[in-house]
Amino acid sequence: MAASPQKNLFGGGRQRLYPWLLLLPGLGFYFLIGVGPSLATAIYSFTDATGIRGLPISWVGWDNYDEFIFAGARSRDNLDALQRTLIFMVLVTTIQFAVGLVMALLVNQKLRGRLVFRTLFFVPVILGVAVQGLMWKLFLRPGGGPMHEIFGLFGLESQFLGGPNAFYWVVVVQVWANAGFTMVIFLAGMQTVPADLYEAASVDGAVGWQLFKNVTWPQLTPAVNTNFLLNIVGSLQAWMLFLVLTGYRNGTNVLGYVVYAEAFGQTAASSFRQGYAAAASIVLFLLVLALGMAANAVVGRRERKYMS
Amino acid sequence: MSAIAEPTPIEVHPGAKKSPNSAKPTQSGTRQKISSYAMLGLLAAFYTGPLLVLIFASMKTLPEFFKDPTGLPESFALDNFTEAWGLANFPSYLVNSLIYTIVATSLFVLMSVFVAFPIARGYVKGSGALLTLYVVALFLPPALIPQFQLILNLGLFNTRTGYILLFLINPIGLIILVNYIKSIPRELDESAAMDGCGYIRFVWSILIPLIRPAIATVTVLHAIGIWNELILATVYLTNDDLYPITRGLIVFEGVYGSDWPKLAAAVLMLMLPMLVLYMFLQRYIISGLTSGAVKG
Repeated sequence: MAASPQKNLFGGGRQRLYPWLLLLPGLGFYFLIGVGPSLATAIYSFTDATGIRGLPISWVGWDNYDEFIFAGARSRDNLDALQRTLIFMVLVTTIQFAVGLVMALLVNQKLRGRLVFRTLFFVPVILGVAVQGLMWKLFLRPGGGPMHEIFGLFGLESQFLGGPNAFYWVVVVQVWANAGFTMVIFLAGMQTVPADLYEAASVDGAVGWQLFKNVTWPQLTPAVNTNFLLNIVGSLQAWMLFLVLTGYRNGTNVLGYVVYAEAFGQTAASSFRQGYAAAASIVLFLLVLALGMAANAVVGRRERKYMS
Repeated sequence: MSAIAEPTPIEVHPGAKKSPNSAKPTQSGTRQKISSYAMLGLLAAFYTGPLLVLIFASMKTLPEFFKDPTGLPESFALDNFTEAWGLANFPSYLVNSLIYTIVATSLFVLMSVFVAFPIARGYVKGSGALLTLYVVALFLPPALIPQFQLILNLGLFNTRTGYILLFLINPIGLIILVNYIKSIPRELDESAAMDGCGYIRFVWSILIPLIRPAIATVTVLHAIGIWNELILATVYLTNDDLYPITRGLIVFEGVYGSDWPKLAAAVLMLMLPMLVLYMFLQRYIISGLTSGAVKG
């Protein structure tokens, strides 16, 4: 990792302190705004903190967790959100992985216009949720929107983001917005595959699918693993498109959105219940940690299989 | 060379079998090309569709939009852009976004170079532990709620200072800098120190020019994050005069939600700087995003 400790070469006396002194502002902010608050989330989850300045904060033990998981209708909504988070993860991970891989394979060929396609697929990544969301809101406008017309061609009807399938439309937008990222990581991996491997395989008579299966896929192991992990962790934590596309309402919420809504007064009942939201956020964190570690174990096995 | 997953070739015309053997590779090559283009075309439609519809909508008058929401506009009218610009608090949103992005990014990058250099070189005690601290941060719980409590209690809620404060950290950016600095030979430090160059002058006038690619990458990565930020702007800012353009757009949607032509023009105006930036700094954007991902 970091270099082993070295003597500071630059001058003696007061100058010796400069590396430390100049490091402090950056490090200080990092503790103050980053690591500190991150760890404090666990502490807040055992309090009844609110978003109102000056209101006393007291310990409530496990009450927040208790309420989050066991308190009647509310907790049923939470467990629904938890389940939906997992569904969202499975769908987004799988689809985004597949779409990203196909796009990378396509634009990695010597085709005319491949750079244009690459750019096109990647650009949504840098647009941010406000633009991504509003763009799709227009595209999915019920009654006269383009998707409405496309559906009409097949005699179909949907309320899109306003209907019961809104959740799945958010999956579509999420994949649209981020598949370019998956593609770029795959592309970077493909460019490291030595060309003679393909030649050797071709000489052995491998074509198309065989080339992919026996050369590209094993050689892509690092990129595959990176994408797999990133997609899982990313989709578990993603919720911002829900904010723009559907708003906070039952039937579409995922865990990340529940945290935000509880903490910042977006739910009908609550007003800035930040202790409770911190507990929800720890639940989500543990979920990400557990699934991330499980995925990491899978990935480690794959690496041993292909890389040794 | 390419490895498009083509299933075993499907015989379209059983009669075509008699084609000479030597022509086979080119034929399957052409077929693969055609199917590749077909798939690319489909994907491209999925990707350009929403954008095109947005552009078309931005050029229509409202009655025209209601009559034909999807088709081409009747004329290249840019009235929606000027009107949207004047309707919402747009110029002020834009200025705010620029302030937040420029101030926070410059402060962050400047401070980070002075954090990354001694860590990369081991000039401070415990530099290994410090680097680890930045790496594990990527796996810690979100800081959202305690951060809010902190800003609130500092009295910085709904202020520019408080909002900028939130963007002075970026562990991935720091890790990128550390890794890049490690590739700069240490002998350089030694000879500069031998010549009597001080620490600050070394970092400022020798190191920084040498690590420009990494600085560009981190700057772009960080700036994009701030420019696109919506959630923190929703949480921390309640005053319309302080909104960045993302938040402004959502406000705009709330007020003019049914006036899609103007809304579309507004969305395009938010997008445009990003697209221009992307065209010029593509390399840094992609390397910043992917190196962060791979290291993380």
